[in-house]
Amino acid sequence: MTGKVRNVLALLAASVLVASACTSSGATTAPSTAPTGSNLKIGVALDVGRVDDKNFNQFSWEGAKQAADALGATANYVVPKDASDYDKNIQGFIDQGYNVVVGVGFNLGTAVVKAAKANPNVSFVIVDVAPCVDETGAPDSTFSCKGDASKLLPKLTGIQFQEDQVGYLAGIVAASTSKKGVIGQLGGVNSNPAVVKYLQGYILGAQSINPNIKVETAFFSTGDPVKAYGDPTWGKTFSAQFIPQKGVDVVFQVAGSTGNGALDAACDAGIWGIGVDVDQYLSYPNASKCIIFSAEKKLSKAVSDSIKAIAAGTAKGGVSLFNAANDGVGGSPLYNATAAGLPAELQGKLDTAFAAMKAGTLKTCPDKCGTWTAP
Amino acid sequence: MNAIPEALNALPLIGILFQFLGYVAANVTFMSQTTVAVAVPVALAALCGAVCERSGVVNIGLEGIMLTAAFVGWLAGVFAVGMLGHGDPLPVFGITPPLLIGLAAAIGIGMLVSLLHAWLSISARVDQIIGGTIINIGAVGITGYLYSLVANQSLNGAGSFKALAVPKEVADFPLIGWLLNAVLAQGPIGILTIFLVIFLQIMLFRSRWGLRTRAAGEHPRAAETVGIDVIRLRYFNVVMAGALAALAGAWLSMEHGNRFDANMTAGRGFIGLAAMIVGRWTPLGAFGAALLFASATALSASLTISPPSGDLGNLTNQVPGEFWEALPYIITIVVLAGLIGRSIAPAADGVPYERESAT
Repeated sequence: MTGKVRNVLALLAASVLVASACTSSGATTAPSTAPTGSNLKIGVALDVGRVDDKNFNQFSWEGAKQAADALGATANYVVPKDASDYDKNIQGFIDQGYNVVVGVGFNLGTAVVKAAKANPNVSFVIVDVAPCVDETGAPDSTFSCKGDASKLLPKLTGIQFQEDQVGYLAGIVAASTSKKGVIGQLGGVNSNPAVVKYLQGYILGAQSINPNIKVETAFFSTGDPVKAYGDPTWGKTFSAQFIPQKGVDVVFQVAGSTGNGALDAACDAGIWGIGVDVDQYLSYPNASKCIIFSAEKKLSKAVSDSIKAIAAGTAKGGVSLFNAANDGVGGSPLYNATAAGLPAELQGKLDTAFAAMKAGTLKTCPDKCGTWTAP
Repeated sequence: MNAIPEALNALPLIGILFQFLGYVAANVTFMSQTTVAVAVPVALAALCGAVCERSGVVNIGLEGIMLTAAFVGWLAGVFAVGMLGHGDPLPVFGITPPLLIGLAAAIGIGMLVSLLHAWLSISARVDQIIGGTIINIGAVGITGYLYSLVANQSLNGAGSFKALAVPKEVADFPLIGWLLNAVLAQGPIGILTIFLVIFLQIMLFRSRWGLRTRAAGEHPRAAETVGIDVIRLRYFNVVMAGALAALAGAWLSMEHGNRFDANMTAGRGFIGLAAMIVGRWTPLGAFGAALLFASATALSASLTISPPSGDLGNLTNQVPGEFWEALPYIITIVVLAGLIGRSIAPAADGVPYERESAT
């Protein structure tokens, strides 16, 4: 083989490897001990990883279990070996007569929408996804979302969270912690509305504490999903440059596992980090000594409420929004309070802001919510 | 006093160039850290590739070797901490017994996986691209699966090697302080990389082993006729090179970070192969290519984090961010296709050697 052909092959192999980055393995099923007596059979199709990942899988499954216990229904979960198992796992639940199927996380969005179209008698829940369908109710790969999912797929509930509200709380914590008046936030990519809403809320929250605060923002990538969400080594390298270059003393990460590298870099730099989506003080013990707070999506509550709505017959199709008003989002406890010198009145300020969000009197996102414009 | 720089800045093209140089000078301290962090694993992977290919074995499996070593090193550290405790770190590099055990395990598994590749390529005479691909895909699957079994038991591992504490006088040295700081403020694997580059450059071109290696890669039959055991030499080189890739993996999970993550190599081994080609299969050239790639990465990060102001800022803001992110790859391709020109692989690279049967 000539050198040139070989080099081309090496590049091809590189792209295959990168493409396989999001798939790792591990398949298990385990029955829940929920009592029977209800006609609901709840199947939870998890994403790759483990059921006890202290992250999306674990809290979504716990929510389903809570609902099953409350309703006297049966619940079961399945962990896929890799992304090619999503369809198979959902179909497996349907074949076994499950009448509520929950898909966990953005990656299962397409598979769940497809299954919802093919099985109009089964109720579906998809966590953290707004269902996007074309005029026929099929998943829309172009994301123009011409069809009305709530009419075309009335038994599909898409759980969405109002990220800007918890981002706002994170901003309050960051601005109260910062001694320099310069705080940072790192997002995966600037085209993801969920990421941007967190960041926009953070800016407004920080300004509510200190109108002159400087909020520095950067993104790990312009579009490469691995660099943006799946490469903690890059996350740490990039953040180790960002922190001194911008002189920030608190950093909020909104970038999945890449962002975990940002929390590591915060530890190394001797500054404070804020976690995202789940309580990262618990889910990411590597950096727990420098995490002061996490902006949480209350996954258990959202999944449990959605299933109960299905059981009660009050579930409507389309997006089901979880926010402060229904306790669907919220802040974690404050950690390392003494070491970080957190002001005593901080928890009170968080509670006041959260109460105002509940009452709907606090604006936590600018007009163009979800669209990033560089300040 | 400022008349001359102002006049220079006013000239369109030269002005932008001067502003660019000013921007780089102002931010070089931040960029140098990123450059080193990006370059180390790429350079080690490139060294592994060069040692293999100079003897005539293509090793695209080095990405998989890196990943396996990163995982096994971390896991061995976890077990060692469980049995021995963390122990007191030495003042230099924060070395602890569990860290050394982890590093040894990483190098051991790297050499073992490399031995598999050597056997596939040299004895079984499998197509070497296929052999390497099997190792890469296998490594992603096996480490990903095993990691998913242990990942959520809060396994913090043995921690990580610490960087040298560079004295303030050195780091603040006029003009070159930032450079000394970037080079010296590293853990043991980062510092070792620089020595390995020089050592291998000398060995490959100034030693008997190097001459034999190059002979086996260019014309194995001729080498065999003068009494070189080509098969044995290739086995030796591939297995030793495995240790280099393993160091890159250990750097990821035990020096730069202190944990393993599924598929954490994220293509760095392949970038290393590209650096090896750009560097014309020489250790020094490969190191230079890795530094070029890394500094372009650091520059693009800096432009993202801290966009320049003035005319230069107007120019860089008009270019989409995607361009800056692609810059390291564009530079690698341009250098590979244009400037290097005659980057010629060893003649017998990738060709299994078959002895003539003695009749």
